[in-house]
Amino acid sequence: MRNIVAAPRPPLGDAKPMLDAQTHFEQIRDRLPGDLQARAAHLAAAEAVGLPTRRVESWHYTDLARLLKSGQATPVQAVDFSSVDAVLAHFEDGVLQAPPQAEGLEIAPFAGAISSAEAPSSAYVMAPAHVMADYNQALAQNGLLAEISGPLAPPLVVRTSGAENVHLAHHIHLAAGAKAVLVDDHMATGYANVVWDITLGEGAELTVLRSQQAGHQVGLSRVSLAAGARYKSVAMVSGGALARHEAHVTLKAAQAHAELHSAVLGHGLSKASTHADFTYTIEHQAADTSSNTSAYNVLDGHARGVFQGKIIVRPDAQRVDAQMQTRAMMLSEGAEMDAKPELEIYADDVVCAHGSAIGELDRDALFFLRSRGLDEATARHLLVAAFLEQVTSHIDETGLSEIMRGLVDTKINALLGNPSI
Amino acid sequence: MSALLEIKQLHAGIPDKPILNGLSLSINPGEVHAIMGPNGSGKSTLSYVLSGKSGYEINGGSMLFDGQELAEMTPEARAIAGLFLAFQYPLEIPGVTNMTFLKTSLNAIRRGRGEDEMDAASFLRLARAKSKALGMDDDMLRRQLNVGFSGGEKKRNEILQMAMLEPKLAILDETDSGLDIDALKTVAEGVNALRSPERGMLVITHYQRLLDFIKPDVVHVMAKGQIVKSGGPELALELEKSGYAEYSGGTEAPAGGREAHA
Repeated sequence: MRNIVAAPRPPLGDAKPMLDAQTHFEQIRDRLPGDLQARAAHLAAAEAVGLPTRRVESWHYTDLARLLKSGQATPVQAVDFSSVDAVLAHFEDGVLQAPPQAEGLEIAPFAGAISSAEAPSSAYVMAPAHVMADYNQALAQNGLLAEISGPLAPPLVVRTSGAENVHLAHHIHLAAGAKAVLVDDHMATGYANVVWDITLGEGAELTVLRSQQAGHQVGLSRVSLAAGARYKSVAMVSGGALARHEAHVTLKAAQAHAELHSAVLGHGLSKASTHADFTYTIEHQAADTSSNTSAYNVLDGHARGVFQGKIIVRPDAQRVDAQMQTRAMMLSEGAEMDAKPELEIYADDVVCAHGSAIGELDRDALFFLRSRGLDEATARHLLVAAFLEQVTSHIDETGLSEIMRGLVDTKINALLGNPSI
Repeated sequence: MSALLEIKQLHAGIPDKPILNGLSLSINPGEVHAIMGPNGSGKSTLSYVLSGKSGYEINGGSMLFDGQELAEMTPEARAIAGLFLAFQYPLEIPGVTNMTFLKTSLNAIRRGRGEDEMDAASFLRLARAKSKALGMDDDMLRRQLNVGFSGGEKKRNEILQMAMLEPKLAILDETDSGLDIDALKTVAEGVNALRSPERGMLVITHYQRLLDFIKPDVVHVMAKGQIVKSGGPELALELEKSGYAEYSGGTEAPAGGREAHA
C-alpha cells in the first residue's frame, strides 16, 4: 500500500495494563512540569471519585475497568503523510520528538495542563464532571500548546505512539479568521488519556481528522466556537481494545457550525476485539447555529460500537439546525451496537432530527453486484467501502482524503481478505 | 442452430413452496421472447433463478445457457458467461459512484473472460458514448449509484449497464414498471439498439404496453409456474383484450390495463 510505511518501532508482546494512578504519579512526578501541588489536588479529586463505572450514565456501555484489562498489542503501521507535506508533532511514549514548525503556528513550551478556560455548562452537560480530565490534569506529562494565527498551509499531524501509559493535554487555539487542518494519528498501543481543548475564534475553521488503529485510548475533546466558526471532525477507528472518543462542543454565537463524523471498522474476538465509543454533547448556546453528526459502524467478530449523542438547544437558541444520524452494519452475530441519540430542546423554532438504523450487509445489494460480475469478496468489500464512504466523503482536502480512504481500504482488506479490486 | 437458453422441466421455489412447476423454454440467438402472466405466476422467480439469486431451491429439470448448466454456476460466473438481468427494482448504493461501479463491473467481467482490463481513459470514452446514446448526461455517471435517480433514470441506468457489458442473453424483469410513456419509449429504444443476431432477450412483463415498443418474436403466457401457451406477437394483443382470467382462474385485469401505482 502506497500510504503505509513501517512504524519505527513496532511494539510486541502483551499490552501494558494501565497503572494505578497514584503509583504512576509517584513514578513520574520528578519529570512532571508545572505546579505539582495543583496536580496532586487534581489527583486527589479524581481518586475520590475513581474511574467511571457503568453506573455513570455516559459510561453505561463502556466498562472501563474491564476494557483496560483487555486487548493484545498488535503491531501497527504508521500512516504516511509525506504526500501532503504535513508538519509533524510526534509524541513517542509521551515525549515530543521535535516541535513542529510552520508559518502561522506558534508552539509554547508545555508546563502542565491548563484548566479548561471554560468549563462546560454543568446544567446541561452529562453528569458527573470529568474525572478522566482530572486524571489528565494530574498526570499530563506533555501536550501541544498551539496558537494558530492565520491560515496554516500544511496539515498539522499529531502522532501518538509507543507502549507506555501516557497522559497528554493539548491546547489548540485558532485566532479569528485562522484556518487549519489537524490530524490526530493515534497508533499507541498502551493506555493513553488524551484531552484536547480547542477554541475557535470568530470565523476560524478547523478540520480534525482522527485515526485510531490500536491501544486503549480515553479521549476527550472540548471545543468552543465563536461566531461564524466552523469545526469539523472526521474520525476513523480501525482497531484498539478501547477507543473512547468523547466530545463536548459548544456553539456560542450565531453562524457557528460543527460537524462530527465517525467511522468504525471493528473486529476481533473476545478480549482482542475492538470497542469503539463515540459520546458527544453538542450544545447550541446561541441562535442560528448548526450541527451535523453521523456515525457509521461496521462491526465484525465480537466488536462493539457505542454511539451516544446528545444535542442540547438552549432556550434562546432559535433557528438552530441540528442533525444526527447513526448507522451500523453488523457482519457477525457476536458483534454489538448500542446507539443512543438524544435531543434536549428548550427553544421552539428549531429543526432537529435524529435517526438510527442497524442492519446486516444488504443481501439484495450483494446479489445485484454479483450479477454484474463481481465475485463475492469484491462485492462485500465494495459494499463496506461504500458504507464507510459516507464518512470519508466529508474530507474535502485532496491528498488527505486519499490517504484516509487508503487507510480504510487497507483495513477492509485486512478484515475481509484481499479481493481483486 | 443450438439454443442460447434451453430450460427443460424446471422445478424451483423457496423452501416448502414450489413456484416453477416444470417450466420449459428455448431461446435462440437473435430472438426476443416475451413472458406475460398474472401476478404470482412466477415470472420474477424465473428471472432470479436464472441469474442465481440465493434463497431459491432448484428441485428438478435443467437450464442450459450456451451449453452450460446455470444451476452449477455462481451469479458472477453467469454474468461472465454473458447472462444479464435488468432488475425490476434497481438498488440504490450510496457511497459508490455510478462510474466506479460500471468500471468495476466491466473489468470484473473482462477479467473473467480472459480479456485485458480497460484503462481509465478508454473506459471513460466508452461510458460517455453509451450513456449519451441513452440520453443520460455525464452527471449521472458521477452521481452515486441510483441514489436520487427517478424511476426512469434507474431503468435507463440498467440499460446502460447492459450496453456496457454486452451480454449474450438479457433478461428484462418488468422493465416497464414505474415508467411513464416517455421514459418507456427511451428505455425501449435503448433495448432495441441492442438487438442483434447474436443476442437473445427475455422480456418479462405484466402488461402488453411494453411490447408495442419492443416487438417480440415469440410471446409466452405463464401461469402457475409453467408456460401454458406460446405464440406470435398477436398473442399479446389477445391478452390485452381478454385478460389473464382464463389462465389464473381469477379475475385478473386485462393485460392492457395500467398499473395502479405506475
